[in-house]
Amino acid sequence: MDEDGSSSIRRMSTRARKIAPKMAAALASSDNRTQAILARLDALENDNAAIETVQPMDDDDEASLDDDDQVYQKRQSKGTKRKTRQAKALEARRAPRTFLELLNEANLESLPSHVPSYLRAAVGPPSSTSRRHFCTVCGFTATYTCVQCGMRFCCIRCQTIHKDTRCLKFVA
Amino acid sequence: MPNVVVLDNGAGLVKAGIGGERDPIAVVPNCMARPLSSKKWLLADQLLSSTEDLTSATLRRPFDRGYLINPDLQSTLWSHIFTTLLKITPSQSSLLLTEPLFTLPSIQRSVDELVFEEFNFKSLFVSDCPSLAHLYEASRSPYGMVSKTQCSLVVDCGFSFTHAAPVFQNFTLNYGVKRLDLGGKALTNYLKELVSYRSVNVMDESFTMDDVKEKLCFVSLDVARDLQIARKKGKDNHFRCTYVLPDGITHTKGFVKDPDEANRYLSLGDGASVLSERKDDPNQLGVIEKPEDRRTVDLSKNEFSLTNERFIVPEMIFRPADLGMNQAGIAACILRAVNSCHPFLHPVLYKSIILTGGSTRFPQFAERLEKELRPLVPAKYPVNISSQEDPILGVWRGGSLLASSPDFDAMCVTKAEYEELGSARCRRRFLH
Repeated sequence: MDEDGSSSIRRMSTRARKIAPKMAAALASSDNRTQAILARLDALENDNAAIETVQPMDDDDEASLDDDDQVYQKRQSKGTKRKTRQAKALEARRAPRTFLELLNEANLESLPSHVPSYLRAAVGPPSSTSRRHFCTVCGFTATYTCVQCGMRFCCIRCQTIHKDTRCLKFVA
Repeated sequence: MPNVVVLDNGAGLVKAGIGGERDPIAVVPNCMARPLSSKKWLLADQLLSSTEDLTSATLRRPFDRGYLINPDLQSTLWSHIFTTLLKITPSQSSLLLTEPLFTLPSIQRSVDELVFEEFNFKSLFVSDCPSLAHLYEASRSPYGMVSKTQCSLVVDCGFSFTHAAPVFQNFTLNYGVKRLDLGGKALTNYLKELVSYRSVNVMDESFTMDDVKEKLCFVSLDVARDLQIARKKGKDNHFRCTYVLPDGITHTKGFVKDPDEANRYLSLGDGASVLSERKDDPNQLGVIEKPEDRRTVDLSKNEFSLTNERFIVPEMIFRPADLGMNQAGIAACILRAVNSCHPFLHPVLYKSIILTGGSTRFPQFAERLEKELRPLVPAKYPVNISSQEDPILGVWRGGSLLASSPDFDAMCVTKAEYEELGSARCRRRFLH
């Protein structure tokens, strides 16, 4: 309780937290499977399969664990001009922001309820919750659910393939 | 002579041309890409040339989730299009630009900056896609339903999302618009994911997979039946089709191995002609040696077979819930869009549904939509769905018509007005 009271006075980081609403929902849910589904849906909007995972790596140079790497990088950084904090901030401002960041910034929730906006134009959930399930291995109607990760399969052969290849790949 | 540039700036394709003409000069991808082998970024139309090898190319698009987020990249692409393809000087021409519905004010501001401060256009008019598609349809049949009632429901199934938008008196009723967050990009990526898991890794081949999707995917009229057929072996399987990936030596673009094979599903239309189909193609003899089963497809030949993926992928537009999305399908989307309008409009809207956008080009899309929609709509209202003759260019042609109308100049915001009033107040003139 005391901790809570003092935290309001304590100096907080001014860094704006950038979390997409979908990711926030996923992080809030303790269910690994929901997280996996949301992550997969998010991946459907990617332009490049590989680049998105590589890009975050190059903005922190010091993160490498290898000693050799560090030595190499130090040597390299002498030649090139070291980036100041200001330069980094400038670069961040110039870098394009994702649509979800812009959406959060626009603060559409604050509009009165009769004003049509991006958020209110979404179709909303389906009227029936029934869902067809397709086998994740072969694509036909799936009857069974994997007990470990919740993905679907249709027969024992597909189950074996599923277990060997991608079981728990998206969850864990 | 007034010179109006009409620019339908889609997330997938830019359609650019001069107002008053029938067809745009350039229909090019709105992205830049860098092939693995080179360091140079290829822009828009350079991606379409047949000599470029785009295997594992890295892509950059100015759009994210349907909205313009990277104005710098867009400006590079536009200046390339304006100088090399359209050959116009922006300072002497007006611009008619399309913008997605519900564009955020911050994005609108950056677009205005781009148009007036970077390119120095004389004047600008911003329109939304549904009203332009409506305008074009109305002009095509002056005595038809759409132009008599001045009212239609435009279903725009594009690259990033699908909108069902009621249009009345050439204005989109924005309180009635419903959006489904699925479009061509998500479908391509879904197909990529399926093929990569089941046969060959194609996660980096955006352009090839776009081609596969356009050539091979279709909308199934009866999913349960088609799944049964897709399970069959050999020639009873009307859906199996092989696509050959580019090898970089003899051909840089992929192709469908046997075009006849690709169209065999059409014979299934009524379900009765399944048996008669088998006898009447003697040209199939040469193909008999081809691998009969998915598992025996020779991976070294760089080809893969599709069966149920061909219709499961577009199926997601009709049932996004199957993908795990918490959104209703396109039929419910239309229903909710109509229901949010005045009841007097309901019968007219159901009678004049217009399909536009590249993702409606899947074969049998309109038939399936009618089949889904009919049970949802009250029986007293007739349902009539019409596809545009060219769904990709429909919006552009509407823009071209608008640009050639006599009062177009009066509707524009000029550069002087923009400098005087700023972005937000200029935008009010466009009434959206």
